[in-house]
Amino acid sequence: MTIHSAGLAAPPAAHTGTVFDIGYRGYTGVREGRNRSRLAIFKDGVRIAMGFGRGGRAKILPWAFIALLSLISLIMAMIAGAAERLGGPGAAEKMNLPSHGDFYGIASIILFLFAAVVAPELLCRDRREGTINLYLVRPLTGTDYVFSRWAAFTAVMTLTAWLPQVILFLGLSMGDPVPVVYLRNHWLDFPRFLAAGVAMAAYTTTLAMLIASFTNRRAYASVFLIGLFVITTPFTVGLAEEIGGAAGQWVSMFNLTNIPLHVNDVIFGEVSEMTEDAPARTLPAAVRVGWYFLWTLIPAGVLWWRYRRLSP
Amino acid sequence: MPSGPALLEVEHLTKEYRNVVALNDISFSIFDGVTGILGENGAGKSTAIKILLGLVRPTSGSAMVLGENASESIGVRARLGYMPEHDCLPSQVSAAEFLTHMAELSGLPPSVARTRAADTLRHTGLFEERYRAIGGYSTGMKQRVKLGQALVHDPAFVFLDEPTAGLDPLGREEMLDLVRKTHQEFGISVLLSSHLMADVERTCDRIIVLQGGRLVHAGDVGQFTKETETVFIEVDTNRERLVAALELRGVGVSADGGGLTIEGPDESVYDHIRDALVESQAPLRRMAPRRRALAELFERDASASPDGRIA
Repeated sequence: MTIHSAGLAAPPAAHTGTVFDIGYRGYTGVREGRNRSRLAIFKDGVRIAMGFGRGGRAKILPWAFIALLSLISLIMAMIAGAAERLGGPGAAEKMNLPSHGDFYGIASIILFLFAAVVAPELLCRDRREGTINLYLVRPLTGTDYVFSRWAAFTAVMTLTAWLPQVILFLGLSMGDPVPVVYLRNHWLDFPRFLAAGVAMAAYTTTLAMLIASFTNRRAYASVFLIGLFVITTPFTVGLAEEIGGAAGQWVSMFNLTNIPLHVNDVIFGEVSEMTEDAPARTLPAAVRVGWYFLWTLIPAGVLWWRYRRLSP
Repeated sequence: MPSGPALLEVEHLTKEYRNVVALNDISFSIFDGVTGILGENGAGKSTAIKILLGLVRPTSGSAMVLGENASESIGVRARLGYMPEHDCLPSQVSAAEFLTHMAELSGLPPSVARTRAADTLRHTGLFEERYRAIGGYSTGMKQRVKLGQALVHDPAFVFLDEPTAGLDPLGREEMLDLVRKTHQEFGISVLLSSHLMADVERTCDRIIVLQGGRLVHAGDVGQFTKETETVFIEVDTNRERLVAALELRGVGVSADGGGLTIEGPDESVYDHIRDALVESQAPLRRMAPRRRALAELFERDASASPDGRIA
């Protein structure tokens, strides 16, 4: 070891070494404040949702949902590609095969299940294990916490919704005999499915997180959410048909699965396969979009109110 | 004697929950060092800590922490650490990942947070186990993780709520050593909440005693220990003669089961006991120092002033 000290001759270079102080040290560097805290909660939320840094079991569910959604889009692209090859250019469009505007409707049940099963984990576990007590003694408020968690799952949900649409877009482009022509004719689908994906993600995340805020058990929240989507769909469909007319249209608006799909229809400018039988499809676009915002903003407000004054 | 400015200052602090007065007009100041806050369950310790952390607003009075109003400044929490009594650890993540996350939550950049998490786990004796999921840890290891998360961001002041809860005697000794080391070696001031006098005596320089929301004692631990110590004596025969001999020498004595308790011993009391034993010819079976139970202390201190300054 080299001893750098006055009056002592330096030993041969072969014996040099370094002493590391590996114990606890004071910290005098920068502290980045509340934004860093919010970002930490956001990053942690993404890790929980995707199972990163957790055991293998935590990864199974989210990745199984993502794989399933990707598989659906891949199959859709392959069918369209095969139709183009076998039936000639434009065959897929003539056969009216499902495309970007229909995808969220087809995949809606999987997207809702994904939100119902995964989103509650971001809130329930922190309360059940008491970790939230440690978060709220840091430079972080209940509002910061719940907004960061909400943003984390909305981001995961958005990417989960977008990924199969991107696969479908690439598949349809490459399946077309002249990909450049397909891109020129269908480039607008890209921003449309991005916007519709955000609408779907914000709605499902908000509802799932609101329900999760009422229980410490993820399983309870998941079962309740699945029940909510499963029960309201056949109930409102049957009742709307029975009543008919304007009243039937409004009953149809309470089909929770269809609320973001009506916005999807407005964005794509056409009725999708999933909503083509819903009486609410004929209501003005502003009503359907307004209804969506009502069902997203009110649950968001209740969620915020529940966490606003939370303290350990 | 304390040096430097007060780190925590509480003035006429009162907290009421509907019909319950959790804290009743208490005032004290805490300076650099390790201070114990002692009291039975429901004495108001946790309420006081929550107010100092800015989590609960006082009904009246003020609480200043590191020069800032605790209930108005969220930013000051970046320089505070808190180790709660109850379970609060995520079971699925490793200690290294959890401490890194907690350091980031206190505003440290990610690369610094990772380094500090490793350093802190080394300090708390968990370095070798840092990549195991916390759910598989023993109670003692979990307590160390709780302490680690309170220290990982290098706070100026740390609140430890019952840090020895659930630990075996060896684990308790090690935890108290860590607490002491936290101040002596790293310069972090500590407020240690406990209902165990022995923990406070072993670790703290100064003490605050709460009972039923009121401040009943505030001062140096050595002084408090001296005031609350007794000697327990058991003799085979001639117990009454011994009592009379002790009283003749002006020593306060009271019956305690089969033995006798002598109040506040100092050096001269031991001489009096020796002389009284000889005079009364009472064969000594056992003589040992003993501390009053907290409940006894509170009965004795119930009439004390509600105002105090830790000096």
